[in-house]
Amino acid sequence: MAERVSRFACLWVPCFVAAAHVRGEPALAERPLIVVTPSRADTQSAPSAPRVSPTLRASGPVREIAERPGGAGALRAWGRSGAISGPPISAVARVLDANAAARERGVRPGMTEAEARARAPELVRRVLVDGHVTAALHALLEAALAVSPRVEDGGLGVVHVDIGGLARLVGDDAAIAERLARHARTVGLPAHVGVAGSRTAARVAAQLGRRVTIVPAGQERATLAVAPLGLLALPEPLAATLAGWGIATLGKLAALPREGLGLRLGAAGLRAHDVACGRDHEPFQAWQPPASWTETQHVEWEIDSLDALAIVLGTVLERLAARLAAVYLSADGLDVELALTSGARHQRAVSLAYPTRDPALMLLVTRLDLESHPPPAAVTTVVVTVHPATAPVIPGVLGEPPAPASRDLATVLARLTALVGANGVGMPVLVDSHRADAVVLEPFRPPTTSAMPTSAVIEAAEGGLVLRRLRPPRVVHVEVLDGRPVRALDRHVVTCAGPWRTSGEWWDTGAWARDEWDVLLSDGWLCRLAHDLLTKSWSLDGVYD
Amino acid sequence: MEILAKAAAPSPLLEEGEITEIVGRLSSGRTSLLIRCLRDITARGGIGALIDTHDVFDAASAARGGVDLHRLLWVRCGGRRAVAMRAADLLVRCPGFALIAVDFGEIAPHLTLTGAYRWKLAARRHGVALVVLGARRLAGPGAALAVETVRRELEWTGPPAMPRRLARMAVGMRVLRCRGAALPAGEQVQWLSA
Repeated sequence: MAERVSRFACLWVPCFVAAAHVRGEPALAERPLIVVTPSRADTQSAPSAPRVSPTLRASGPVREIAERPGGAGALRAWGRSGAISGPPISAVARVLDANAAARERGVRPGMTEAEARARAPELVRRVLVDGHVTAALHALLEAALAVSPRVEDGGLGVVHVDIGGLARLVGDDAAIAERLARHARTVGLPAHVGVAGSRTAARVAAQLGRRVTIVPAGQERATLAVAPLGLLALPEPLAATLAGWGIATLGKLAALPREGLGLRLGAAGLRAHDVACGRDHEPFQAWQPPASWTETQHVEWEIDSLDALAIVLGTVLERLAARLAAVYLSADGLDVELALTSGARHQRAVSLAYPTRDPALMLLVTRLDLESHPPPAAVTTVVVTVHPATAPVIPGVLGEPPAPASRDLATVLARLTALVGANGVGMPVLVDSHRADAVVLEPFRPPTTSAMPTSAVIEAAEGGLVLRRLRPPRVVHVEVLDGRPVRALDRHVVTCAGPWRTSGEWWDTGAWARDEWDVLLSDGWLCRLAHDLLTKSWSLDGVYD
Repeated sequence: MEILAKAAAPSPLLEEGEITEIVGRLSSGRTSLLIRCLRDITARGGIGALIDTHDVFDAASAARGGVDLHRLLWVRCGGRRAVAMRAADLLVRCPGFALIAVDFGEIAPHLTLTGAYRWKLAARRHGVALVVLGARRLAGPGAALAVETVRRELEWTGPPAMPRRLARMAVGMRVLRCRGAALPAGEQVQWLSA
């Protein structure tokens, strides 16, 4: 029996918080960028735009920033301050993360913004938006899902991927790593990939600096020996002790006697030794994608026109579409939430006629909806949530008349909905009731060929006389003689047939009972009159035509 | 009925890319003729759309007449004729629909000759049959075929003095305009059961 060899890949995005904000504003990619904690000045300038959403506080992606290997002492203290919350609003803004261009200028996380500006006055500053970080993390996980069904959230900007058994499907380790990097790039995140026999080793390999690092099976310890100790994110006291011993690389730490290390440094020392040897401690915890996917865009200015809002919406929808495309899913509905300068939130639920991941179509539908329901004030933040769904594949059949393409149909339905309202367009569906005009409108989804009516059904249906209904039925005065109508609508009744009695729901509050008459009036109208037996009133249901 | 028989197969009444008008008085059978067109289209797997200006469409009658309601897009315009015109403008430009039926009812809107030709060109581009129902003609020379319906006879069941049921109606159809297709001259009569 062949032994199963575990292989793991790790996706690691350097400067992840900065990368998450660059993903929202790609124009920042080439500029030195710092992401700072919100200060009191930021809060006063934009009170209606909370950067740290209550829903994200419990999940704590921001809190993890403080525990990153490169996190500064002040941020560690903030992250471990006890209560799980977002970054505290302090008097002074501090640098949470900086991109590579800013780091080249000497900027480091933990500095105050003033210190950072003293080193590089041309810095571009963005206040932390939790939604950007969460969305980027989910996007990275979803990109990994496109390659393997088993992925693990390894922390901020780190995703572990179980690639065991993918060789026959994708190729060797290098091919798998390239594919992972490509998928990460499509969702806007430049990731480094490491492949090794354990998650820890793969993570260290990814952080070695090269875009793709493959560690051959069984050579983890030798390959990672040169890696600096700082990659392990050890606790500060332990890192200081090891530095005092002159231990600067993983190889040197792994070479230390394990028992002696345990005696001197305790459990933390043993754990550090295991990590240096590339051993995993925690079991693999597979990540499940959430039921709805969200993207956020905070703008530094207030948007008061629909055209400008459409541009922002377009970028948000393109990011969502890229995430959906990575895992071959589509969206069947959108929830748009706009934070307004007034402090209120404008929420719209936009339904799509067909599951789609076409950003242009989603933008068109959303824009049409917002045209008919515009936000009452200027917009400061755009949050779009999609509900992923699998788009049905409807193959065409030879000889069958062509059906509207999904995109065309969705577009025309959106325009019609904007024109006549959501209650005015759809597919008529008969309700199982004898009540008059028992019909409802449902979203229009033409059936596939398998649901075509049989020829027997078609032949059985005879084209008959059709009623033109009055909605609501018009109450009319009818003169009755010997129980039969003789005059209606101020006209003489030439002939009448009936009554046809129907009733229903007598067991409920919506009880109804009526007699229906087919009536030929003197002016040639052929009508259907109804006599309500409960209210004793007459109404004109419709005219045969 | 010869005209309707032609309508079932490749039909001059429902010619792709052309406008057909059905006109007549109320209770003359014109709506029944329109529903029959929808039946012919949906029964063959085509997708139809009905623009209902005055919300008069009776789905139960249509289903009894054989229309596959799952293949019918119903647009209710709430009596707004301008909205109905705009909806027709949108739908006739959407490729994939086999039939666009516009029911303007008793009060027809004003449709310029330019507008009619614009519809015709759009219908021709996308291969859609456009059927317009109204009390009078709208499209003028833009329509390839115009048919007028007239009620000829009614049949009731039961004693003549006290009939029990409306049995059927005889509808006469007269071709007002026919361009390019050979349709029989004179009036054709069709019985429609109630």
